[in-house]
Amino acid sequence: MLSVDAVVSAFAQHGYVADRGLAVTTHLALQLGRPLFLEGEAGVGKTEVAKTLSAILDAELIRLQCYEGLDASQALYEWDYARQMLAIRMIEATGKGTEADVSDIMSREFLRPRPLLKAVEAAAAGERPVLLIDELDRADEEFEAYLLELLSDFQVTLPEIGTIRSDEPPVVVITSNRTREIHDALKRRCLYHWLDYPTVEREVEILRLRMPGVDGILARQLALAMADLRSLDLFKPPGVAETLDWAAALKLLNADQLEPIVIDETLGAILKYREDIDRVRDHGLESLIHS
Amino acid sequence: MGFFHRLRQAGLPIAAGASGEMMRAVEVIGLAPPGDVFYALRALCCTSVEQYDRFAAVFVDYFRQRIPAGLVATQPRTREWTISGEEEGEGGGGESVRAARGASDTERLRQKDFATLTTAEAAAVRSLIEAMAWSLARARSRRHRSASRPGRPDLRRTLRGSVSPEADMVRLAYQERKERQRPLLFIADVSGSMERYSEMLLYFAHAARDRLGRMEAFVFATHLTRITRQLERRDPSQAIAQVSRAVTDWSSGTRIGEAIATFNRDWARRVGRGGPIAIIVSDGWDRGDPAVLADEMARLRRSVHRVIWLNPLSGREGYQPLTRGMQAALPYVDDFLPVGNVANLEKVVQMLDSIPLRARS
Repeated sequence: MLSVDAVVSAFAQHGYVADRGLAVTTHLALQLGRPLFLEGEAGVGKTEVAKTLSAILDAELIRLQCYEGLDASQALYEWDYARQMLAIRMIEATGKGTEADVSDIMSREFLRPRPLLKAVEAAAAGERPVLLIDELDRADEEFEAYLLELLSDFQVTLPEIGTIRSDEPPVVVITSNRTREIHDALKRRCLYHWLDYPTVEREVEILRLRMPGVDGILARQLALAMADLRSLDLFKPPGVAETLDWAAALKLLNADQLEPIVIDETLGAILKYREDIDRVRDHGLESLIHS
Repeated sequence: MGFFHRLRQAGLPIAAGASGEMMRAVEVIGLAPPGDVFYALRALCCTSVEQYDRFAAVFVDYFRQRIPAGLVATQPRTREWTISGEEEGEGGGGESVRAARGASDTERLRQKDFATLTTAEAAAVRSLIEAMAWSLARARSRRHRSASRPGRPDLRRTLRGSVSPEADMVRLAYQERKERQRPLLFIADVSGSMERYSEMLLYFAHAARDRLGRMEAFVFATHLTRITRQLERRDPSQAIAQVSRAVTDWSSGTRIGEAIATFNRDWARRVGRGGPIAIIVSDGWDRGDPAVLADEMARLRRSVHRVIWLNPLSGREGYQPLTRGMQAALPYVDDFLPVGNVANLEKVVQMLDSIPLRARS
């Protein structure tokens, strides 16, 4: 992909409607070999960017889902202790263990690679995988510091084995829902893009592309209703994922246009807090319908 | 290139050597659609969406170029808030204040209501606040450390132990959960009725952040303003001067319910991780709807470990929490404490240290 336009059309071919800002940032990330840092509300399609990129580049997608307490043994590698113990017992049983046997136990064969090591190994082997570090805000700061080190030189040193180095870094996509602020030092190594809710036109495009069964009039109605909902000061405004869920729900109910009763029946597909559902009902379901 | 200088002035985190990167970026993107250059430089320069407006303003101003619509900021109206006694805070006056203060004097100051302090006393009280020793309640982390007591087995250490020549049997090594400090949330009322307390309470907040390392802070009167970044300035009076510039609704009416609602909606998920302790400072005089306040307090209470309400009036003799706002909020408050003088603040600090590890029953 040699231009921003090529990125836009490649994304579209793989079912993702990218706005110009995202396309420019992605293009730049690929060309400069820098990680792409995507921040935005839940359900705006951050993870989807990485999946689409791996489809476009025909590259393996390696995903690391973050959570509190995530540490090196879960993110990078761990020894396969059970197999090591068995191997020791077997050597003992034969009664003639040698130096070589012992060093075998600490070889690559007994290592269980986790996503980060997998990505570095794949990159070192000349592939260029897409490494998705998903929801980094869920991990704690200790892990962030660790990641910072990895992102700066893409090499991993295993004390027992040696250093694995990749000349061309993997394509790295980091996402965050902003449940906390990620440290500036890490963000600075990346290209930052805030993924916003789509405009009405773009959301119609997304619906047409992802939900071919939904006709143009309904798609527009849905997009306009979503824009209304997002302006309502809800506790959790619905994302694009919810729009697609909603369209799927309406399709199942054979509804070809929005009506108050249908909206009422399907509110659970788009709103996940009781207060939000009450608020939208108080606001009036009719007002969501644009003809 | 003057552009970087301007960006830095606007408070964007531009690292040294950024210009080379930007040149490369422009090379990769090309100059053809001018909007693309804007997006490319923005991706390099910004590290959060809040910086987008400032970046756009500098970009437009510098390149005199049209950019995609809807990106230029409107400057919020700010009001300067002069802090009483700021002038003599650092200067030569400080020494004489310290000299004049004996032990009994200190005791008297500790008990004296913030609303009745003279300028010199205020300076002395500020240094008392800064000198307080902090330690915060702890929570269990999801990380593990080695332990001597049986618990979760530590296979790595177990294997290491079993390969030594003397090991004739496998001895299990164990791990236990680490402990970590609970995060602190500070939400203070700076409306008209709190005016004479706000300054000291902000010093209190600054001291807390300084000692505890991490704290999220907000102030509100009619609307909520996040002041975490401003309090990060090391020097207390500079930090508070920054706060006073950032806040636009000093000393106006109070809408506690709406302020807590804004916190719950826009901030709770961003800054409320890890079972925080929420401290709300307000006298409970509320012009908003008590029902809203009650709902929002209920929600806040569900998302934090403990809710502490500090009220500057509640230490006074004969005080009853009768205001509608206070009545609405009290059922959702775990600890209701006075905060009118230094002695009260010391109690609060002690209390923070003694909050149990586990959730309330």
